[in-house]
Amino acid sequence: MKKSAIFGLVVIAIAIAVIISVYSNSSTYGSFSDATKTTSELHIVGHLNTAKKLYYDATKDANYFSFYMKDNKGEERKVVFTGTKPEDFERSEQLVLTGTMVGQEFHASKILMKCPSKYTQDKLEITEAKATQAGI
Amino acid sequence: MDTVFKGEHLLPGQIGQFFIVLSFGAALISFISYYFATTEDAGKNDSSWQRLGRIGFYINSISILGMGVCLFYVIYNHYFEYHYAWAYTSRSLPVYYIVSGFWNGQEGGFLLWTFWQAVLGNILIRRAKSWERPVMAVVAFSQVVLATMVLGVEILGTRIGSSPFLLLRKALEAPIFQNPDYLSFIKDGQGMNPSLQNYWMIIHPPTLFLGFASMVVPFAYAVAGLWQKRYKEWVAPAIPYTLFACMILGTGVIMGSFWAYESLNFDGFWAWDPVENASIFPWITMVAALHVLIVFKNTGHSYFTATFLVLISFVLVWYSSFLSRSGILGDTSVHSFTDNGMFWQLVIGVLIFLVLSVVLLVVRWKHLPITKKDEDTYSREFWMFVGSVFLGLSCFHLLVVTSVPVWNAMFGTKIAPPSNIIKHYNVIQSSFAFVVTILTGFTQFLKYKKTDVTRFFITTGLYLLFGALITALVVYGTGVYKLNAVFILVMWGSVYSVVANAKILADAFKGQYKLAGSAVAHIGFGLLLVGALIAAGTTNVISINNTGEGFSPEFAKEQNPRENIIVYRNQPVKMGDFLVTYTGDSISAPNHFFKVDYKQVDANGKVTNEFVLKPKVQVNKGQLASSPDTKHYLFHDMYTHITMSNAISATEGGSESAHDEVDDDKNYDTPVSHEVKPGDTIKYRDGYILVKGLNKEAKVQNIPLSDSDVAIGANLEVVTHGNHYTVVPVYMIKNGNVFDFARKVDDAGLKLRFSKVIPENKKVEIMVYQQPESKKKFIVMKAIQFPYINFFWAGTIIMVIGFFMSILRRKKELKVV
Repeated sequence: MKKSAIFGLVVIAIAIAVIISVYSNSSTYGSFSDATKTTSELHIVGHLNTAKKLYYDATKDANYFSFYMKDNKGEERKVVFTGTKPEDFERSEQLVLTGTMVGQEFHASKILMKCPSKYTQDKLEITEAKATQAGI
Repeated sequence: MDTVFKGEHLLPGQIGQFFIVLSFGAALISFISYYFATTEDAGKNDSSWQRLGRIGFYINSISILGMGVCLFYVIYNHYFEYHYAWAYTSRSLPVYYIVSGFWNGQEGGFLLWTFWQAVLGNILIRRAKSWERPVMAVVAFSQVVLATMVLGVEILGTRIGSSPFLLLRKALEAPIFQNPDYLSFIKDGQGMNPSLQNYWMIIHPPTLFLGFASMVVPFAYAVAGLWQKRYKEWVAPAIPYTLFACMILGTGVIMGSFWAYESLNFDGFWAWDPVENASIFPWITMVAALHVLIVFKNTGHSYFTATFLVLISFVLVWYSSFLSRSGILGDTSVHSFTDNGMFWQLVIGVLIFLVLSVVLLVVRWKHLPITKKDEDTYSREFWMFVGSVFLGLSCFHLLVVTSVPVWNAMFGTKIAPPSNIIKHYNVIQSSFAFVVTILTGFTQFLKYKKTDVTRFFITTGLYLLFGALITALVVYGTGVYKLNAVFILVMWGSVYSVVANAKILADAFKGQYKLAGSAVAHIGFGLLLVGALIAAGTTNVISINNTGEGFSPEFAKEQNPRENIIVYRNQPVKMGDFLVTYTGDSISAPNHFFKVDYKQVDANGKVTNEFVLKPKVQVNKGQLASSPDTKHYLFHDMYTHITMSNAISATEGGSESAHDEVDDDKNYDTPVSHEVKPGDTIKYRDGYILVKGLNKEAKVQNIPLSDSDVAIGANLEVVTHGNHYTVVPVYMIKNGNVFDFARKVDDAGLKLRFSKVIPENKKVEIMVYQQPESKKKFIVMKAIQFPYINFFWAGTIIMVIGFFMSILRRKKELKVV
């Protein structure tokens, strides 16, 4: 067998390994009921329930923010985020949460918000909040 | 009948629009002429097609300048009847940011791109000699495609491109536009996104777009080579341009990361955001292409790989543009680029160049100079080739993950990207980086075609060992060993690459000047990785706070890092090695700066280090946006970012309005009264108040006193958290009525009233109003230490120097015909 052929095979093997690792690492978009059935992290898309109170009091705890979100299937859960309340949170039109269920609460490690843009009313703007730091 | 609108300045827009159409037409003529110059006039020295092609390209270049001038005129004069000026600038914007307002919108980005491509085209016309016709045909074609992106003309009911000269009333639908006098209601533009108001945004986009634009030159050479069947000849002249493209795009990308570090709040310089990823795809593949081009030039091997990588790099530039501009990343990116209604036009843009590349390769497949002979295992070209393939694989991985939304759109799936995306990328990309860095080291010791094996193994082994020793020290010293093993491997690879290339560089000074450029570039790349690894890997959040009242046992179990700390005004807080105090605010609209004082105190209580950081929050259109401030040291950076504050509000702009007394009392806890005489102290929650004496000559501004009136001041000294404040509340009897004038110590959150004189026991009554914690001014902040981040910046600069040295060398080698 020629050396280039062997190398070609190695490359193909690595490419396949990459795809598999991406696939096994990727999570899915789900609902709160999916989240209760699994311990792995899920992405949940939904809307903020503005009728219920958002809770953030920096003087009590600067790293505790909770709110209620309805997922796309209409199910509502309390969401707890370890961090400060993202700016303009109330105005968000859509939320994408990443996290897991802990008891009856959904603990989000990341919140991606879609807000009506600050600068152009005809466009949407997205911001993201992360609970954990961007370390390796 | 059409409404006649008042006050609009339509002329600059009409001229600008004329230039857009002219640039499109001129590019088309130039392309067609160069095409025929290549096919019809092949072999002829004198070609009228070529002359026409040049003229077309010159007109194209001039009209692009014209467009720019018109757009600048519109923005500079605040003509808000134009959507672009209205959407991205405002009257209050300083002139130097008006320049960045220029490329704030997507149209401006395309304008920059096409401008740089025009500049490069003009250089090629002068320098490309026999390559001018086919190469310029490709460049002109690229100009045609780019011009369609800003055309903004409706053809058969679909709008082609988005023009920067679109009028506001045509861009938005609103009842206001039925009023012919609508402009008098539009007083100001929407202003610029505060995070873009940074000096890096003045130079980062032009550099990045010059990088993107310069990718067209190697692409054009590769296409010309295939088209003209000059398979081997195109490589040599393309190499300097390839180096240039890599150098500029690399600089542009890192400038973006510096901007993110300085001005954004995503806790660092790199977050694997899809838009960031998209900008490095072409860089990675072009760097890979560069190496294979050199291999081919020296040995004649790897022709297909070289051509393929050059072609794909340019396709990736377009793909990257599609990703960031089409709005497809809506669910995964924090970048706010959104759909301009050009989704399919961008798809077509990508496909045009992809199809062109594939068709050319397929048509010419049988004639490609592909060698059947295997390279020698101990030859430099073989391992350079391997390294390039690994670079390609690394790009492949980034591409697959970043494109998740694209796969979802194509196949109707609902895959979400990995939930811990940063860890995912870091680990996998580090594996590739390890292989690549090791290769950048030992490949330098190999010779083209054949090497002395024993000697090679000895040197390589020695340097690997030496590298391992240094790595062990670095890893232990910085704490990198606590991370995933793969990061230690990359550290080893990077350190090895630095030492091995330093040896090559040392040899270069002894006369083998040829490899100096690449050695310097590799050293830079190695240092860049070392810096990135330590800075990102051992990033130290100092503002850890586990004292929150809501810190439930549930949270404690999960050990969530709680990275925000609350700091009350003038109340020092211990944070890591530091004593942090929020000492005040300074406002220079629209910026609200928070002064945060950092003190390091040694065991004897002596202050060893003190500095003030001023992170800012911008109030802009009733919204708040904050930017960090960073203290730079040689070996680490201290980064501070305000996540929240009650000292500023979106509506009041941070100013406090006066309240009447009754309302004001609501801001305080129930007062406590103390009967005291001079010399007494009053204890309260945050300190004590010293009653120094009574002052019978107290005066209250604007209230004249007659002889029968009495005004007594209580001289009080408030001592809290090491700060002293003097305050004199006044008790007054005027015309038989009793008044008292309370005095506030805002910094201490106190209000003091001198409410009574009790003559019986020669005491006075002082009422102490204390602000509840929640009413006191505070900031919630995050402080991060980035160790050794200067390696990252220094590595980048060294790498750029290396590229530049290589350009000089390759240019010298060139004998273009």
